[in-house]
Amino acid sequence: MNKPAPEAAPARAPTDWKTEAMQKRIRRRYARERRFKLFGMLAVILSAAFLAFLLFTMVTNGWRGFTRTEIALPLDFPAMAMKIDPAQLSTPGANLALAGAELEDKVSNAALAAYGAQSVPLLSDAAWLKVREALKADPSLLHQKKLLWVPASTQVEQGLRGNDAAAAPLAKKLYDAGKLHTGFNAGFFSESDSTDPVAVGIWGAFKGSLLTMAVTFLIAFPIGVLSAIYLEEYAPKNRWTDLIEVSINNLAAVPSIIFGLLGLAVFLGSWSLFGMRVGPLLPRSAALVGGVTLALMIMPVIVIASRNAIKGVPPSIRDAALGIGASRIQVVFHHVLPLAMPGILTGTIIGMARALGETAPLLLIGMRAFIVTPPGGFTDPATVLPVQIFLWSDEVSRGFVEKTSAAILVLLVFLLAMNGLAIYLRNKFETRW
Amino acid sequence: MNPLALLFLIAGLGLIGWLTGRARAQRIDRGGAKRLHSLPSQHGWYVATWAVLPALLFVAVWASLSPSLVRDAVLEHPAAKQLPQFEFERDALLAEAKRVAEDPDAKAFDPLAAELAPATRAAENRYNWMGSAVAILLAFAGGLFAWSRIRAQLKARSQVERIVMLLLLVASLIAILTTLGIFLSLLWESLRFFEQVPITDFLFGTHWSPQVIEASNPGKSLGAVPLFWGTFFIGAVIAMLVAIPFGLMSAIYLTQYAAPRVRAWMKPTLEMLAGVPTVVYGYFAALTVAPAVRDLAVHLGMPFASSESALAAGLVMGVMIIPFVSSMADDSIAAVPTAMRDGSLAMGATHSETISRVLLPAALPGVVAGVLLAVSRAIGETMIVVMAASGAANITLNPFESATTVTKQIVDLLTGEAEFDSPKTLAAFALGLTLFVITLLLNIVALRVVKKYREAYE
Repeated sequence: MNKPAPEAAPARAPTDWKTEAMQKRIRRRYARERRFKLFGMLAVILSAAFLAFLLFTMVTNGWRGFTRTEIALPLDFPAMAMKIDPAQLSTPGANLALAGAELEDKVSNAALAAYGAQSVPLLSDAAWLKVREALKADPSLLHQKKLLWVPASTQVEQGLRGNDAAAAPLAKKLYDAGKLHTGFNAGFFSESDSTDPVAVGIWGAFKGSLLTMAVTFLIAFPIGVLSAIYLEEYAPKNRWTDLIEVSINNLAAVPSIIFGLLGLAVFLGSWSLFGMRVGPLLPRSAALVGGVTLALMIMPVIVIASRNAIKGVPPSIRDAALGIGASRIQVVFHHVLPLAMPGILTGTIIGMARALGETAPLLLIGMRAFIVTPPGGFTDPATVLPVQIFLWSDEVSRGFVEKTSAAILVLLVFLLAMNGLAIYLRNKFETRW
Repeated sequence: MNPLALLFLIAGLGLIGWLTGRARAQRIDRGGAKRLHSLPSQHGWYVATWAVLPALLFVAVWASLSPSLVRDAVLEHPAAKQLPQFEFERDALLAEAKRVAEDPDAKAFDPLAAELAPATRAAENRYNWMGSAVAILLAFAGGLFAWSRIRAQLKARSQVERIVMLLLLVASLIAILTTLGIFLSLLWESLRFFEQVPITDFLFGTHWSPQVIEASNPGKSLGAVPLFWGTFFIGAVIAMLVAIPFGLMSAIYLTQYAAPRVRAWMKPTLEMLAGVPTVVYGYFAALTVAPAVRDLAVHLGMPFASSESALAAGLVMGVMIIPFVSSMADDSIAAVPTAMRDGSLAMGATHSETISRVLLPAALPGVVAGVLLAVSRAIGETMIVVMAASGAANITLNPFESATTVTKQIVDLLTGEAEFDSPKTLAAFALGLTLFVITLLLNIVALRVVKKYREAYE
């Protein structure tokens, strides 16, 4: 092929495209072309269909997690004869006093009196808590008879939804008698974990996520941006800089679970240093250690995005600033950094979205506890939304399937919003030089 | 003092330092005898840096030292003599005493912890006040020192800039520290593991059952070959059988065939697949895909098929990787010079012939590198296999049977209740080290492939 033919080849007759054989060959090639294109289209469509199917499954399973079935419970407070002073109900000790007055038992007795003994429990574990809150809100109730709507048990709720055959007839009967109604489940956004699927909420995990993200941002953003500035603007080209570059690129590809092992060994382990026992550096299960671990994980993402953004600022800006007497630090902090900020922020938001959806490293550093009270600060035991989803996914009852999918929907909405914001920022502030 | 309050106080002192420093420089400037070397605000920064930096450094050191100082002080207490000698129990009791000391509502379950609580509280208070006092003193002293040095010739700007430069360098060193931290901590714990279990047993043993470990011969049930096989089978075979054709074909379709509007919509849609959290994929795999796969297996005549099959986890993992392969392929196809494509089309080749005989061979290094990176991501993926794969370690070629992976076992080993030094816990670190080394090698090879073959057309 490489050498030209030494002697003139015998003149070739021009191809006759009209012969039967040629036509057949062309048809075959075009058919292959169409098949190839079809495969490509199928690949795209099937991938998108998988995404659609996933979302569809989550929505069909999850939308009912945002609703709650309540049962009408007639309560005759004077007949309960609780030894309690109405004035006590507006004091901080009210919870203790009401628990001491056996409110929980009295509420279940009221259900027994109203509906008789049934084969399945009627009230949710959280029902008496709702009565408690009602009493605290209005202490005068103690002297009244009152009909309260309280959360029904998960069996009744699922019976009404046709998922629990044993409870279905009872639920149907109650519903037809107007004793049940289903409404928006505000508790899902204000409660925390519980053993009863009717009573669970995502607020505790969500607050844990917020605290963790705050720590992650406060650590990863400054460090990421500063090291990007150093590498892009000041670093001399030598071995050290190469080493830093290689580490950052490798860190970006290290599996997330390895960061969990790092957190476990470095932040939660203890070792002896010069004869003194040091550590654990950070409290276990807390938002602080989770945030630091995730910060180390997303820092490379921020560094790489920031470097690209800084690289995009044209050198003429730097030259102009230097020309009118700015120092090298001023050039960067007064001119380059503000111009690169949209790109940096886009990368940071994408990194934060990744941290928000991350589960595996947090499992290893103990953020998988059963958290009933929302964390009050950075050092309290906490869990985060994805870990909460993981914990609920282990529960087999139908009620938890609904709640898990509902929590997934909330998480997806947040991630979508963050990614949308990143795209918006990129489009709005993107400058072509 | 509350750490947050202390930080605010130090920041406040820094602000005061900034204001007074700037004011002093302005006064000198208005005096007019000499021109200032630096702007007044730069003098302000100079004072603020001196006030804040030493104090913050001290707080950081103190925060890591004081827990062990408190511990030593508590151990001096006469009641501490009764503490059990066994370290694990002793730490638990001390932690309980600490919790009781810090939280007035908490009740101690152990009388000894209750007895130690006041001592713990006293020691904590003492060291806390000591640390806060020294930090504030340092802030004052630093600020005063800098403030007293302000004069017209002071090169405040150069000094502040030197510190900023140092800060930048330190920030970029954190990446190296993290890499070193990962490597050393994994290596350290793994070495402790290999003291108890011979490395050959771990790397070449074919029996994995950490639930029953013989104390005399722990290596017998800690052979990791089934895990390596499961990881390879799920992550590098099944997942890639999904991800490579789908990722490659969708990249080709979107870059070569699709109308610009279709591309503008479908590319972000496919990228959404990469943005879905892995826990969601895991839940989907366990809830929907795994039962479907089992039904299929039963239909195919395997009545005892596992509901935690390798196939279910691998399929979902493959879908998760699609956008990754697709964007790598997209990039490397786009990097092929247009002249080659145009030349091929001008010779009369169809689009598909151009793609499969010209573009793909030219883009192959990039595609191969992308696939290697995708494999590295797949074998490090955790949540999907934790939720959808089984814990039973089998060496099998049947995708409908259960298989387990390295990442799944790390999570299982570390989330049970076990003491820190047992071979069971340490095995997780040895697995982690193996995973880290393999993903690192894959990445290095991928980068090499790209570097070596890409320059041909540039």
